[in-house]
Amino acid sequence: MIDALFYDGHSARAHKVRLQVEHRQLVASGAITRRWPLAAVRWPETTRHGQRVIHLADGCSLEVADAAAFDRWRQAQGVAHDSWVVRAQQSWRGVLLACVLLVAALWVGYRWGVPAAARGIVALVPLEVDRSIGASALQGISQQWLKPSALPPARQQALRERFLAAARARPGAPEVRVLFHAADQRLGPNAFALPGGTIVFTDELVQLLADSDDTLLGVFGHELGHVQHRHGMRALVQVALIGAATSVVIGDFSSLLAGVPALLGQLDYSRQAEREADHAALALLRTAGVSPQVMLPLFERLAAHRPEQRELPLALSSHPADEERKAFFRNAAR
Amino acid sequence: MQLAPSVRELRIRFVGSGSEYFRIWIVNLLLMLVTLGIYYPRARLRRLRYFYGSTEVDGRPLAFHGDVKRVVRGYWLAVALAVVYSVASQASPLAAGVAAVALGGLWPMLWRSSLRFRLANTGWSGLRGAFTGSTAGAYAAFWPLLVPAAVTTAVALFAGPDDKLINPWPVLAVMAASLLPVPLGVWQMKRYQHSHIAFGSEHTRFKVGVGAVYGVLLRGALLAAVCIAAGLGLAFLLFAGGLRAGGARLGTVTAFALPLLVTALVLLLLQAVVRPYITARLQNLFWNGTRSDHLRPYSRLKARSLVALSLRNWLLVLLTLGLYLPFAAVATARLRLESVRLLSKRDPDELIAGLRQQESAVGDAAADAFGLDMGL
Repeated sequence: MIDALFYDGHSARAHKVRLQVEHRQLVASGAITRRWPLAAVRWPETTRHGQRVIHLADGCSLEVADAAAFDRWRQAQGVAHDSWVVRAQQSWRGVLLACVLLVAALWVGYRWGVPAAARGIVALVPLEVDRSIGASALQGISQQWLKPSALPPARQQALRERFLAAARARPGAPEVRVLFHAADQRLGPNAFALPGGTIVFTDELVQLLADSDDTLLGVFGHELGHVQHRHGMRALVQVALIGAATSVVIGDFSSLLAGVPALLGQLDYSRQAEREADHAALALLRTAGVSPQVMLPLFERLAAHRPEQRELPLALSSHPADEERKAFFRNAAR
Repeated sequence: MQLAPSVRELRIRFVGSGSEYFRIWIVNLLLMLVTLGIYYPRARLRRLRYFYGSTEVDGRPLAFHGDVKRVVRGYWLAVALAVVYSVASQASPLAAGVAAVALGGLWPMLWRSSLRFRLANTGWSGLRGAFTGSTAGAYAAFWPLLVPAAVTTAVALFAGPDDKLINPWPVLAVMAASLLPVPLGVWQMKRYQHSHIAFGSEHTRFKVGVGAVYGVLLRGALLAAVCIAAGLGLAFLLFAGGLRAGGARLGTVTAFALPLLVTALVLLLLQAVVRPYITARLQNLFWNGTRSDHLRPYSRLKARSLVALSLRNWLLVLLTLGLYLPFAAVATARLRLESVRLLSKRDPDELIAGLRQQESAVGDAAADAFGLDMGL
């Protein structure tokens, strides 16, 4: 028997009753007497604080102020077993296990889940979408950072033909378009691939590697890898997925904070994508019969070109460290 | 405050604890992650039940009666709406415009439906609340909030993609002017919400002038301006200091990292200072202007306390990488709820339950998925 307050659902007046369970029925007796089959009773979930409210299918309710006594009582009665979720929430051991599993789930999802999901989703997106996104990105970039190329047209054509011939020799290589542009100072010697297959070389990069067309071919192979793996589109999907996951976790606190993991995650995925593109460059060079060794001057000259030490800590950088990438091509040449 | 002898004061207490909510939160979080979000509506229901059950009015707890099936159904509808909307807004500008207009057109209806669901499922002493506002009333209240979006869209259509040809100042002036109806919209929506709450035989009225809302939001805007100025001033000092201390090299490093740092700082100040300031002022304004025949809430939440709590919460959330979030939620709920008292002219036992009604959970969940949290 346990003391409770009975509410009939029509008036806020409380009636003192005592509760007991008999013949699969919950019985309240006192100033009034009522019975409910156990199937009509919604028992409260166990919590450490607060009162216990029992809801009944007919709109009546019962309040028990002494929560600890209620928990003992219903255990003795053998009714209202908590779900395993509630049991986990009530024990610090369960909570600790949940913490460990949470970290593991976050790690697995981040390492394999999100990239795999992004690959799957991007595979469903028609290439047309890549092209239209790439076209509008190119428009934006050209307005801000690019000027018409000053390279002689014959030089452009020669490079383009060499690049495309090497690409044709690779099975499954995507259709690409190679453009040359003079760049703004902020962009400097650079090359980038846009979704849909536009690859842009800056004049400054072509001049920096003027004596080594093989190195330029390697750079092309790297950018071709970005196009082939649709890294640009995957990045969009990954940002959206991580953003959605974080907003579930802390969205009701701040949408501002929710953006930070998406950004850091994307930088990490971007380093993975760069590695994948370096693998593609290696494959292209091998097919073209060029030693991977030709890539080393690229990193040295780019480093020399940097005005001063501007390398960011790795977590904030979109590319792997130069040393790692040099070692990759050096080892491949052996 | 001096009470007339016949006035009874009903105290509001929040008895939830941070460590308990942490345990509920972390297990829910795990379940949501491993089920890829499918568990979300159940987790949300458990959270609501915990916060309602931990709120005691005159020693009796509130109850949230929302039923799992309905909450789940509402959640999937909200997900479907969000997916259609985001796909449409990626597809083409026209589809994005159509989707935005459709959503804007549906929103007041979903909002009203959500208010009805929330109130109809809020119980106390065996009674249930009700929301009596009409759909037409929701549309009439909502329109001023559409003005900024409509003006921005019109400017974008008029200007086209080539933004260099247009003198920016008149455009900025027009966009700033389009914000003027926003406090009117906030006031109309609160008036709609607070004049249609029914509990038993009590029906609420709302007596706050629109001028007071403009006053609070204007002071909030001034505070925001101060925060932005402080951020920029600090940036200038750091930059100058970096130049002097480290010469040109350090100067470039700070110049590179500084815009990021300052943006983060200003956003943090806006979230942790300006937002709680406005929240506290509006809570007092709106609740003190609401009353029914025999009941009257009295809120005296100090803006300073809520700002201090919010700064503390932000600091601890950042330091613990988010693990403090459930503690922050409980502390905020406690401060906001316990600064409200209910003054009653008659014995609350005499309040008789009004009509009970069922309302679809669709609006409740849909409103939540678009980031509009309602109530508690």
